[in-house]
Amino acid sequence: MKHSTTMNWKSKAFVICFLVLSLTACELPPRNANKNTEVITSSRDTVITNEEYVMVTTAVTMPMYVNHDQAAFKKWGEKMGVKTSILGPADWDVPAQINTIEEVIGTHPTGLLINGTDPAIAQVINKAVAAGIPTVVYDSDIPNSNRHAFLGTDWYEIGKMQGEEMAKLLNGKGKVAYMGILGLTNMESGFQGLLDVFKRYPNIQVIGKYDDKANVEEAARISSDLIAANPDIAGICGFDSNSGPGIALAVREANKTGTIKITTVDWEPEHLQLVKDGAIQMLAGQKRELFTWYGAQFLYDMVHHTNKMANNDAKAGITSVPYIINTGLLKITKENVDEFVK
Amino acid sequence: MLKKILQDRVYSLLVLLAAISAVASIVFPSTFPTFENFRQILLNLSIDTIVAVGMMILLISGAFDLSVGSVVAFAGCLTAYLMHFFGVPVPLAIMAGIAGAMVVGLVNGFLIAYQGINPMIQTLAMMGIVRGMALMVSGSGIQNLPYWFNTIGQSKLLGLQMPVWYMLLAVLMFTFLVNKTIVFRRFYYIGGNEKAADLSGIRVKKMKLWSFVISASLAGVAGILLSSRLGAALPTMGRGLELRVITAVILGGASLSGGFGKIPGALLGALFMGIISNIMVIARISGYWQEIILGIILIATLWLDKFLQKKYADLR
Amino acid sequence: MRTIELQGISKTFPGVKALQGIDMLIHPGEIHAVCGENGAGKSTMMNILAGNLQPDAGRISINDQIVSLQSPQEAFEHGISIVHQHLSLVESLSIAENIFANQQPTNRFGFIQYKLLRQKTKVLLDQLDIQLDPTTTLSELSYAEKQMVEIAKALSKNPELFILDEPTASISAKETKILFNILKNLKQKGVAILYISHRLDEIFQIADRISILKDGKPQGTFPVAEISKELLIQKMVGRTLEETSDQSHRTGEVLLDVKNLSGEKFTNISFTLHCGEIIGLAGLIGAGRTEIARAIFGVEVKKGGEIIFKNESIVFDHPEEAIERGVAYVPEDRKHLGLFMDMSIRDNIIAASLKNARDGNLFSSAKATNMASSSKQSLNIAATGVDQIVRNLSGGNQQKVVLGKWLLTNPDVLIIDEPTHGIDVGARHEIYKILSKLASQGKGIIVISSDMAELLRLCDNIIVLKEGSKAGTLSRQDATEQKIMSLAAN
Repeated sequence: MKHSTTMNWKSKAFVICFLVLSLTACELPPRNANKNTEVITSSRDTVITNEEYVMVTTAVTMPMYVNHDQAAFKKWGEKMGVKTSILGPADWDVPAQINTIEEVIGTHPTGLLINGTDPAIAQVINKAVAAGIPTVVYDSDIPNSNRHAFLGTDWYEIGKMQGEEMAKLLNGKGKVAYMGILGLTNMESGFQGLLDVFKRYPNIQVIGKYDDKANVEEAARISSDLIAANPDIAGICGFDSNSGPGIALAVREANKTGTIKITTVDWEPEHLQLVKDGAIQMLAGQKRELFTWYGAQFLYDMVHHTNKMANNDAKAGITSVPYIINTGLLKITKENVDEFVK
Repeated sequence: MLKKILQDRVYSLLVLLAAISAVASIVFPSTFPTFENFRQILLNLSIDTIVAVGMMILLISGAFDLSVGSVVAFAGCLTAYLMHFFGVPVPLAIMAGIAGAMVVGLVNGFLIAYQGINPMIQTLAMMGIVRGMALMVSGSGIQNLPYWFNTIGQSKLLGLQMPVWYMLLAVLMFTFLVNKTIVFRRFYYIGGNEKAADLSGIRVKKMKLWSFVISASLAGVAGILLSSRLGAALPTMGRGLELRVITAVILGGASLSGGFGKIPGALLGALFMGIISNIMVIARISGYWQEIILGIILIATLWLDKFLQKKYADLR
Repeated sequence: MRTIELQGISKTFPGVKALQGIDMLIHPGEIHAVCGENGAGKSTMMNILAGNLQPDAGRISINDQIVSLQSPQEAFEHGISIVHQHLSLVESLSIAENIFANQQPTNRFGFIQYKLLRQKTKVLLDQLDIQLDPTTTLSELSYAEKQMVEIAKALSKNPELFILDEPTASISAKETKILFNILKNLKQKGVAILYISHRLDEIFQIADRISILKDGKPQGTFPVAEISKELLIQKMVGRTLEETSDQSHRTGEVLLDVKNLSGEKFTNISFTLHCGEIIGLAGLIGAGRTEIARAIFGVEVKKGGEIIFKNESIVFDHPEEAIERGVAYVPEDRKHLGLFMDMSIRDNIIAASLKNARDGNLFSSAKATNMASSSKQSLNIAATGVDQIVRNLSGGNQQKVVLGKWLLTNPDVLIIDEPTHGIDVGARHEIYKILSKLASQGKGIIVISSDMAELLRLCDNIIVLKEGSKAGTLSRQDATEQKIMSLAAN
C-alpha cells in the first residue's frame, strides 16, 4: 500500500485523460449509413497504372463459382490484357468476405467486383465507393448500397419458373416439398417465388421446407425420408447446386424415377446428365458467366470512360454504365439438354 | 533474454511477428505498413480475439469448445431478433443476447463437468443445435438494426473502430484476472492435473462449469459486437470460427492437453493469423491457397517451437 | 544361457554425467542387484540395456559378442526383457492385449487369434498366481495388479536377461513372495536377472551379488555374503544412517475419533488419533487402507459411522472443506494424484493454499515464491530453484514437493499414503525425520504403508486391516513384522 498515493494520482490522471479522449475522439457512424444517395464515381482521369481488377466472393472454392464466375472473369482479363485477382474465404463466411473487402480497399485496386452474398455487405461497398473505387455487385443485389452497377438473376423468378414448371408437370395437383440453404436472402426470395405460384393452385399441397446445407448426402437423406413418410409425394424442388443430385439419388433408390418430378437449379455436367436420364425434369439455370464478364467490362468502361456522358462523370455524380442488369434464366429440359452438354 | 524468447511463446511469437511485418513492409512498401492497413487488421481480428480469450481459458483448464462459432451467430441473431421484431430497448436486448450465450455455456459446462460427457462430443453437438437456433430466430438474417445498436461496433475512438478497443479491454481484463486472482489461477491446476487439483481442494467440477460459461459469454459478446459492426445479424456468422480460434490459441502458446497458455498469447496468435491473411490479400493470393498456407504455417510454427525448446534444453 | 558384460559404459545428459565408466558382468543363473540412491544412474543403465538410450562410450557384449542395442526391439531380440517402474501399459486394453502387445498370436492370414491369446495369458497369470480374467480391462485393476501384469508382460517374452526396476514398490508382501519364487525359478533355468530396488531387506533376501552406484560411478560389486547392510548403505549414500525406532510424541489429547466408519470397500473401522501420535495402517493391497483415508478426506462418500474431529462431528463433501478444517492427505500415486508434473515447484507447493498466496485480494506471485522457497529450504528439496519443473526432479524430491504442498496448508491431521514409495534411502530418512518432527509439534499423522520397517519405526500404534475390516491393533512395543503379517494375511 506504500504506492497508494502515487497509484491514485496516476489512475486519476488516466481516467481523466481517457474521458477527455473519449469525448473528443469518439466518432459516431453516420446516421443514415445505408441510405446515402450521393453517388461518387472514380475520379481517376489521369493515366491508369498497374490496372488490376479484384473479385471478392465467399466460398471461393465452390465448383459452381470456379467453373462459371471465376472462369469467365479470368477469360475476360486475358482478353483485355489486364490483371485479375480473385480473393475471399474458402468457406461460406460473409464476415470474412467483408474483412477481405476492407483489406482490399486499402490496396486501391482499379475496380472491385463483389459477389452480393448478403445485405450486410452494404456498408463495406459504400466504403469502397467512398474510397473512389468503381464497384460492381453480381449475383444478388445489395439494394441499400451505393454500388455502381448490379448484374444478376432475379431469384424470385427462379422460384417462379420452378413453380410454374412443377405445376404443369403435376397437372396442378399433388404433394410438393422444397429444399435449399436456409438463411440466405436470395434463396428465401426464390422460395417465395415458388410459394406464390403454388398459391394459385389449391390442389398443390406444400408439405415442407428443408435445409440440405448445400450437401448432396443431406439432400438425399431428406428426400428419402420424405418419400418414406409420404409415398404419394409428387414433386420436389431444389434451390442449391447440390439439391438436384441429392434428390435424384433418393428418387432413383426408391425406384420412382420419373414418377416423382424434380425441378432444380444450376446446370453443371452432373445436372445435365440427370436431365438426359429423365431423373430431373427441369433446370432453372443462371447465366453466371455473364455476371462477371460484363461486370468486369462495366468496371473497365467506368475507368476508361468508354461512354462518357458528362465532361466529368464523377464530378457530375453519374455513372456511365447500366444500373441494374438482369441476365435472365436458362430453362433446360429434355428437349434442349443436348445443346448444353459439352 | 534468449532463454525467455526460446521458452515463452508470447516472446517468440512477438519476434516472429516483427520479422514477418518487416519483410512484408519491404515487399509491399505502399500497402502493408500503413496505419490504414493495421487499423483494418486489428478490426478484422477483434471478434476472433474476444472469442479466443475465452478459448484460452478453456485450453488452460484442459478443455475446448467447438460451439463458440454458433454462439457468436446465436447471440447476435437473438439480440437483433428482440430489437427488430419486438422493439426491445438496445441494452435489454444485449443483455438477453449475452444471457442466451450464457445458457449455452451452462448447458455445456453442466453436461461436461457434472455428467462426464466428452467436451468434444458435447460441444460438437451443441454447435449444430445452437446454429439451428440462430437460423430459427433470424431466418435469412436481420437487417436495419437500431442506430444506437450499430454505434456500439461502428463508432471510432482515436481512429480505431470500437471492436478493437473492446478486444483490448477483454485481453487486459482477463490477463489481469488470470494473473492476479486466485480463482482464475485454479484453471492452470485443473489443466495440469485434474485429479491432483481436486485432491488439493479445488472444486474442479464447479470451475469447469464456469469456464464454459465464461467462454460462451465472451462468444456472445463477440457475436453482438459483430452484428453491431455489420449492422445486421446473419445466421451464418462465425462459421468455421471455432477452428480458427483454436488454431490462434494454440499458436499463442496453449496446449491441447491443458495447463499452459497466457491470455496475451490469444491476441498474438490471432494477430499472427490476421497479419498472414492480410499479407495474402495484399499479395492477391487466392482463397484456395490461403487455407493451405495457414495450415502449413500452423504446423511449421509448432515444429519450430519444438525445435527451439530442444535447442534450449541443449543450451543448458 | 547368456553372459552379459558391460565395459566402460558412459552416458552424459546435458549438464549431468549420468554414468561414468560402468563395468559389470552378469552371469546366467544369477540375481544381480543394483543399488544406489535416486539419480545414481540405475535407470540410465537400465535404459541402455533396454535399447531406449545409446551410451556415449563403452560397449555391451553378450557371450563375448559385441552387440549394439539401437532400439527396444533389438534388445528384445537379444533376449532382454524389462519390468518398468513406471508402467508401460495401455489402460483401455485388456490384460491379454497388454501382455502380448505387438506380439499377439496370429493365424496364417495374419489375423489375431483371440482364443489362443487368452489361453496364453491365462497360463502366465496362473504362474504369477494372479486371479484375474485375461479379458479384464486394465483400467479396472489396482496399481499393484497392474504391476503384476507388467511383470507378466516382461515374462511373456521368455527373457534371457530379465531386468526389474523397483518391482515391489507398489505390491504387497504376498505378491512379493510370488515374484521371488518366480525369480528363483528363472534363476534355476539359467536366466540372468538384474534387480533394482530401494528395499535393502529384499536385496539381501534374494540377490547373489550386489553392484553399487553413486552419482553415476561404480562403487564395486560384492557377493551378498561379503557385505553388510550398514556397509551397503554407507557405500550408497557416502555416510552412515541410523535405523532406529523413533521417539513417541503421543499426548493424551484426542484429535480425531473415527467411529464405526464404513464405506464401499471397508466396514466398521474405529480408531482414535491423539495429538502427536503417528498411527499406521497396515495390510495387503486391497485391504481398504487408501479408501479409509479418502473417506476421511471427503473424496469418497462414507456409508456409515461417524468422524469426530476436534470434538465435532464432521462430514467433508469435498477435499476443500477438509483442507480448510486442517486435514491433509498425501496420496500414494504421486504422478497421477499428487503432482502437477509440468508445473514448477512453486506452483505445486502453493496448489492447496492458493488463498494464502495473496496480497490484499490479489494473487501475488512474489508471495507465492516466498512461500515455496521457504518450503524448499525447510524440506531440503534439491533443485536449481522454485521455478524448476517438477517432472525433472527425482522421486524423493518430488515426494518432498507433495509433502511441502500439504504442510503449507498447516494441517492438524496429516494422512500420508506410502510416504516413501520408490524413494531412495537418503530421502527416505529425511521424510521420516519430517514426520517425526510434525508429531513433536502435536500434529496427528496417519501413515499408510506396505513397508513394515517403516511402520515399525514411525508408528505409535499400527492398525492392521484385512479385507476391509480391522484385524487388530499393535502398539509400538508389541509390533513385529511377523505379527503384522499374520494379522494381515490369515
